Amino acid sequence: MTVRLEARGISKRYGRRSVLRDVNLTVRSGQIAAVVGANGCGKTTLLRICAGQLSPDAGTVTLDGSLAYSPQDGGTVPFLFPAEHFVLVGAGAGLSRVESRDRGRAWARRLGWSDVESGPARLLSGGTRQKLNLVLSTLTGADVLLLDEPYQGFDRGAYVNLWEQLWRLRDDGAAIVVVTHLLNQLDRVDLVLDLTEVVA
Amino acid sequence: MTGGLRRLLTVAEMALRELIRRRTVLVLLLVLPLAFYLIRRDQYVGQSVRSLFVGIGWTVSTAALFSTIGARSFEPRLRMAGYRSHELYLGRLCGLWTLGVALAAPFLALVRFDVANVRYGAVGVAMLCVVTVAAPFGMLIGHIIPREMEGTLALLTVVAIQMLIDPASTASKLTPFWSSREIGTYAIDHTGADYLQRGLVHAAVSTLLLLALVAVVSATRLRRRVRVLQRVA
Repeated sequence: MTVRLEARGISKRYGRRSVLRDVNLTVRSGQIAAVVGANGCGKTTLLRICAGQLSPDAGTVTLDGSLAYSPQDGGTVPFLFPAEHFVLVGAGAGLSRVESRDRGRAWARRLGWSDVESGPARLLSGGTRQKLNLVLSTLTGADVLLLDEPYQGFDRGAYVNLWEQLWRLRDDGAAIVVVTHLLNQLDRVDLVLDLTEVVA
Repeated sequence: MTGGLRRLLTVAEMALRELIRRRTVLVLLLVLPLAFYLIRRDQYVGQSVRSLFVGIGWTVSTAALFSTIGARSFEPRLRMAGYRSHELYLGRLCGLWTLGVALAAPFLALVRFDVANVRYGAVGVAMLCVVTVAAPFGMLIGHIIPREMEGTLALLTVVAIQMLIDPASTASKLTPFWSSREIGTYAIDHTGADYLQRGLVHAAVSTLLLLALVAVVSATRLRRRVRVLQRVA
């Protein structure tokens, strides 16, 4: 299987505090990796480095293919409707407006979200806004998906739907990295990177 | 339409949609220049027209500041989706220019019907110049000072300097909306065309300089920090 994402020797400090120290992560096509660890152990930092949003102090990240990132916060535009988000993100990948809306609605349905025209993002509930965040990550069919605690605000049904969709994406060849602190998800993934152990 | 142009226009459209949904903000964007205009209207209407230009400049640059700061967390996502950084800042700029022209239009009509014996065409040109400069100026502040309160205070400082500085001083030429003052003088006091010419050159140079700075800051912030493998066919 093709190596889609390879992080080698990643270190990062914030001031005097070392958050990541010589962290390695290799994710292949058709794999789901879980990044786990206690609060403040650097899970989000690692994901942001992998997404190219943050420079590491040491180490390299190599990417083979296209990338999508679902951040923990700020993944949506408060005054835009979900369909407008689909059009905006879809245009980046060369999708037409119709294609973007259709794909967005289809992904939303798979996450148990049918009423995508209910209002602008700022008026959506926390869980629904998180679904929008996720749909935007899957819209362009990226080869590598980075998801930072993607289930926040989800009810049980949405949580189950999420994992079904992640397995489906994995079966289609996507390489997925999920930041999580819920240990009961670990049997659902192919590899686990525990940052608590790495830093300790 | 090319893919790049389509992406740019999509960003412009969404930036504009986002701004016009803030109804209260829109009202305030109109109220502020109006207040600048009315405050000295009874004493010297020419000065109130000049103040109006500064008011428009302030509102458009404030809208640009907030729009830029609001987009900071979303733009990396768009970059990953396939946008190039120039499509993002130019698209936002087009949306802000459209908003600025729409905000300035009623004030041009106000001057047309409320003020006699001025060159109305030149008033329109001065408004166009101030909108053209204000959008990239607000965007630049939004990129450099990415927090709303600090950015607003920075804008306030610049506008205060703009209003209080001696317009004949050399330093006043370094203020962003100096062009509108020059063209305003041409429009209100019926001076020679050299005022108009100087104003237009100042607006063009300021816009290009601000755009170049926005391009550098934006490209730096949205650069790819990961090594991407290039596949050989």
